[in-house]
Amino acid sequence: MCALCGVFVGEAHWTEAGVEAVDGGRTRRHERLHRVALANRVLKQFGLKLGDWQGSAYLLAGQTGQTAIVSSVAGLWPEAERLRRQPIDPLDERLIEALERD
Amino acid sequence: MTRDDHTPVNVLTGFLGSGKTTLLQRLLRSPRMAHTAVLINEFGDIGLDHLLVQKVDEAVVLLASGCICCSIRDDLKAALRDLLGRRERSEIPWFDRVVIETTGLADPGPILYTLLGEPVIRHHFRPGNVITTVDVVNAGLHLSRNPEGIKQVAAADRLVLTKTDLATPKQTSAVRDELARLNPSAGLWDAAQEPVDADFLLDATPFARTRDLAPYRLREDRSPHADSVTSFSLVLDRPADWTAFGIWLSLLLNRHGDNVLRVKGILSVEGSPTPVFINGVQHIVHPPQHLERWPTDDHRSRIVFITRDIDHTRLRRSLEAFCRLRAAELSEA
Repeated sequence: MCALCGVFVGEAHWTEAGVEAVDGGRTRRHERLHRVALANRVLKQFGLKLGDWQGSAYLLAGQTGQTAIVSSVAGLWPEAERLRRQPIDPLDERLIEALERD
Repeated sequence: MTRDDHTPVNVLTGFLGSGKTTLLQRLLRSPRMAHTAVLINEFGDIGLDHLLVQKVDEAVVLLASGCICCSIRDDLKAALRDLLGRRERSEIPWFDRVVIETTGLADPGPILYTLLGEPVIRHHFRPGNVITTVDVVNAGLHLSRNPEGIKQVAAADRLVLTKTDLATPKQTSAVRDELARLNPSAGLWDAAQEPVDADFLLDATPFARTRDLAPYRLREDRSPHADSVTSFSLVLDRPADWTAFGIWLSLLLNRHGDNVLRVKGILSVEGSPTPVFINGVQHIVHPPQHLERWPTDDHRSRIVFITRDIDHTRLRRSLEAFCRLRAAELSEA
């Protein structure tokens, strides 16, 4: 629920709670893979890759072998910025253009 | 997702002398408020003749992140847990609602964060409407000099105009226009001219009594009182992929949460015939709610953003680029 601070133990992040709310007919596993695939579209612009980690968390990896385990999408972004040592700004013109081309 | 079994907590805020306690006194006479516990920060000159009034001393515990809005209000945590315990032990009359009257200088963010983030509290309580009083006579001064005043207006679900009986019609009209510019998602009620309408103030119907947002494709309003704070409403023609939207909003709030004072709207989501209600105040996002029906015949997504120093055209392009990610993913599958 707090994009900056991540999640609290045992509580689904709002991005995942929303899936229950919308009930798009996806299974939980399908939804996690879908989330990973979409996040990777953004992360690849920064040389990072996300994977599912035992169905309960996500494994974020950099090109030089650095890794971090994050529990939700909210926890992902601060870790990605830490590994990359630069801000990941959705309003950055270069990122928007890269996603528009992609 | 239903949270109906959680006790709603309304935050009543507004600048010093803007009529919070007077409004509370009037509201407490409503049958709908018969079983309400009240937490107040200070006992003012206006006495509250109510069974369940408790004073709290404002104390904020800043979390390690250093983010002001994401900090636990220790006083509220203790007061709400105490109320809960005493209700469970039948030491106090049963209550089905809590109203927190804040100080004039309170930032609503930490209060909402405490309600949504504190483990015990979030399992028993849920945020109700944030109700903000605005003194029409002094609104210009408050909004131009006090950043807390802007945050209180931005966080509001309902805005209550006070002292319109002491203001000229021109003053009142100017403040109405200003509030509609600052927070077009909040419903407006004139406390001096209209009888108390507890249902309007307490019901969490999105966009009740707001100016019509639908005609505006990308409407931007700049406040003369807070130059860098602007609001705009965004209408999306096509349903969004919820996961893509969540990735985008979480990234936006991670990088720009301090400057995104409010995100509120109804989202048309792929795979769902009815919309999802989203509501965020700075870094804090309420659990999304799946509405049972569309509030109007217009079934497009409508999202209001209240931001500081953010280029709205770029924000829209960014959201659209993220929403298109889904198509790219599926075409590869």
